[in-house]
Amino acid sequence: MSHASAVGMLIDVTRCIGCNQCVDACAQANNLGQDTPAPQDSPDGLSARRWNTVLMGPAGRYVRKQCRHCLEPACVSACPVGAMHKTPEGPVIYDSSKCLGCRYCMMACPYGIPRYQWDALAPLVRKCTLCYERLQAGKWPACVDACPAQATIFGTRRELLAEAHHRLETEPRRYLQTVFGENEVGGTSVLYISDVPLDFLARGHLGHEPLPALTEVVMGKIPPVALGVAALMGGLYWIIDRRMRLMGGHPAPVEHEHEIDS
Amino acid sequence: MKSTRRRTIVKDILWVIAAIGLVAMIARFIRGLGATTALNDATPWGLWISFDVMAGVALAAGGFTIAAAVYIFHLEKYHSILRPAILTAFLGYVAVIVGLLCDLGLPWHIWSPMIHWQPHSVLFEVAWCVMLYTSVLALEFSPVILESPWLQTPFFQRLARWLKWFTLPLVILGIVLSTLHQSSLGSLFLIMPFRLHPLWYSPILPVLFFISAVALGLMMVTLEGFVSAYLFDHSPRLDLLAGLGRAAVWVLWLYLLARLGDLAWRGVLPAAVEGSWYSFLFWAEIGLGGLLPASLLSLRQVRTSPAGLITAAGLTVAGLVFNRLSVGGLAIFQTSGTSYFPGWVEFAISAGIVAGAGLVFLFLAENFNVFNQTGAHVASRPSPFDRPVFDAETRLYQGQNWWDKVSRRTFFLVPVVAVGIALLPAGGVGGQTGLHTPARAALGWTVMRINGNRNGLGVTFDHVGHQQRLGWAAASAGSTCIDCHHLNKPADEATACWECHQDMNQPASIFNHSLHQVELGGNASCGECHQAEHTAGAAKACAECHETMMPQAGEARFNNLAPGYKDAMHGACLPCHQQEAETQGKPELGRCPACHKFEDDATSPQTHIAQRD
Repeated sequence: MSHASAVGMLIDVTRCIGCNQCVDACAQANNLGQDTPAPQDSPDGLSARRWNTVLMGPAGRYVRKQCRHCLEPACVSACPVGAMHKTPEGPVIYDSSKCLGCRYCMMACPYGIPRYQWDALAPLVRKCTLCYERLQAGKWPACVDACPAQATIFGTRRELLAEAHHRLETEPRRYLQTVFGENEVGGTSVLYISDVPLDFLARGHLGHEPLPALTEVVMGKIPPVALGVAALMGGLYWIIDRRMRLMGGHPAPVEHEHEIDS
Repeated sequence: MKSTRRRTIVKDILWVIAAIGLVAMIARFIRGLGATTALNDATPWGLWISFDVMAGVALAAGGFTIAAAVYIFHLEKYHSILRPAILTAFLGYVAVIVGLLCDLGLPWHIWSPMIHWQPHSVLFEVAWCVMLYTSVLALEFSPVILESPWLQTPFFQRLARWLKWFTLPLVILGIVLSTLHQSSLGSLFLIMPFRLHPLWYSPILPVLFFISAVALGLMMVTLEGFVSAYLFDHSPRLDLLAGLGRAAVWVLWLYLLARLGDLAWRGVLPAAVEGSWYSFLFWAEIGLGGLLPASLLSLRQVRTSPAGLITAAGLTVAGLVFNRLSVGGLAIFQTSGTSYFPGWVEFAISAGIVAGAGLVFLFLAENFNVFNQTGAHVASRPSPFDRPVFDAETRLYQGQNWWDKVSRRTFFLVPVVAVGIALLPAGGVGGQTGLHTPARAALGWTVMRINGNRNGLGVTFDHVGHQQRLGWAAASAGSTCIDCHHLNKPADEATACWECHQDMNQPASIFNHSLHQVELGGNASCGECHQAEHTAGAAKACAECHETMMPQAGEARFNNLAPGYKDAMHGACLPCHQQEAETQGKPELGRCPACHKFEDDATSPQTHIAQRD
């Protein structure tokens, strides 16, 4: 399934009334309890028990923050065991049976989304799954269902992009002329349109290049480097060993090792 | 012997540090990461990753460097320091793995990368390389164990002969694995350009990590040569160590060239002179672990004097460990507004692991031919594994049991463990600190505003009123402060409202029909409530008589802060009930008996609440 037909959400910041019903619906759908983290523990309100939060953005706008379900997710690329997984349907989900708890996904996420169950003895990584189980049951994500203002809508990424651009065109004075998430870090499945800049959702400035590409460059060099180093070391050994033997007086090194090690 | 005494003192100190570390480690595994460390969602990697893993792996780089010098480049004179270098590397990697086990949230899943392959991940590659290289180091060091006089059985000798066949392939494999993962520890950070300051973030991080690891490995072997010479009373092989210094000069200058050249190439150098915390950190690190030792070692007089070599080696080790700490934490942006400083448990475990590795090194060096000396002195030593022999004539056990050597230290192990426990943070003893319920005083401390679920709203709590009803602090009254402020609860957790007010979310059976009948005058009074029809549904609403029981306008919000208990409970349920009563056309939902019911009523709000949760 291509990225275009994968599903996602479109969040229209200008329509959000900040009622937090999406937060409550998320907590109910995922059995998270009613815990709001203290501001000093989590300034953005996300925690292992709160996967979705409504922030006060610039100019008093309400801005939802949750997993962006990137098309080329850094967390999936970082995870050494494939516990983080990009499903063909779009959501980025987590398999706790593989996870070893290294928290590299949390380090790698450019939006700072994955959270850890620090108070648990067998802690797991927690984040929005775009209600993957509900999707499979043919339902929408709980937050989309709950939104009374249709500020969050659900659909395939292609439909959502078309709708977003349609809104930008029909009401150009209402929106900044950009769809947040269309190109950032290679594109995200959760898109935003807004009348205020949403850069504060990311950790620092993000380009359009997918983050995993930064490591792919190096990872691709591993086989040649490994073979090259092995060949270089073997070759050097052979040349030096041969020269020393030809010069005479030195016993063959393998026998020499016997001598030293015994 | 002087050196024996020195070793005893060093071992005593290491025992204390290791014992405190062990206490901290037990606390970490019993109480969990959140309760014992300062790690948090914004800083999921802390001291254990940057020091124990990243610096630990780099410090152990001496193993493959010296192995390459001896076996590949045939620099036979370094053979005498090969064994301690391999042992240091092996113990270093074991320490890395122990540190990692503490850091991992699910350490019992550490095998996961062996089964679940994800070859796009840098960490996957690091995991495999560390795992394989630790095995390679164990095999490289095993001849030292196998040649000991206590293992001269045919089986072990055959094993030793087989291993020797594989020496060269093992060495080459070790070099390949080291090259890969020493550099990959730098590649780990390539995916997070938004986290690492530009003075450290670089596309050539893996190259920088590899070069600096070689320098660090060489200088660590140098330092270790001096320390073991001091502890084991043999004079340091100055010619060898000076040779390592000469090699390190080239590596260090290469590192500096690559590091500064890369900064200049990317145009980031101005950031190094802007006077920020990062620029100070950068110069401290570059000066300590680069410019200063490289300049010192370039001088022949420094290289050939023990004091000079020790200084330069110490500077390099400190400076390059500093570099790993910077990349792993100090130079990482704290964008989310929360901060991280390692907790006591993190420091104690890190130090304890190093001390433990030191103790194992000393044990092996004392009982096996680690320094590759001519056999005599080792063979003459009694085996540490020999059991005491019963001597029939004297009727005494002859020989020393390994336990006897340990027993002296067990004497002060008890106070050390006690100190370790005393130093643990509250979470390490009592588990995760209870969720702090913010309580703010309102109206001159008699009424408090309690924000139980920390959502910014709350209820007023009449502290004085509760005190009064419970009988003040007098024990004679049978009810005291401890009714609510328990000592048997973790940390600052007080009694929640519902623990006393258990009826809070339960059906109340306060409407007593017969009592109303009696009070209002028997059968003649039916019409008082049942005005139109004489049925329950058509009865008057409670509020029509009991006006004060319902929240009135202006009353609902006490002092503009938060509603009191009754109003809070009414406020929690009523708005939704009244709205639903209207929209659903079910007026009984909005009436008092919807919640204040008879106990035998089947559709009690209890089930309603349970469903909601």
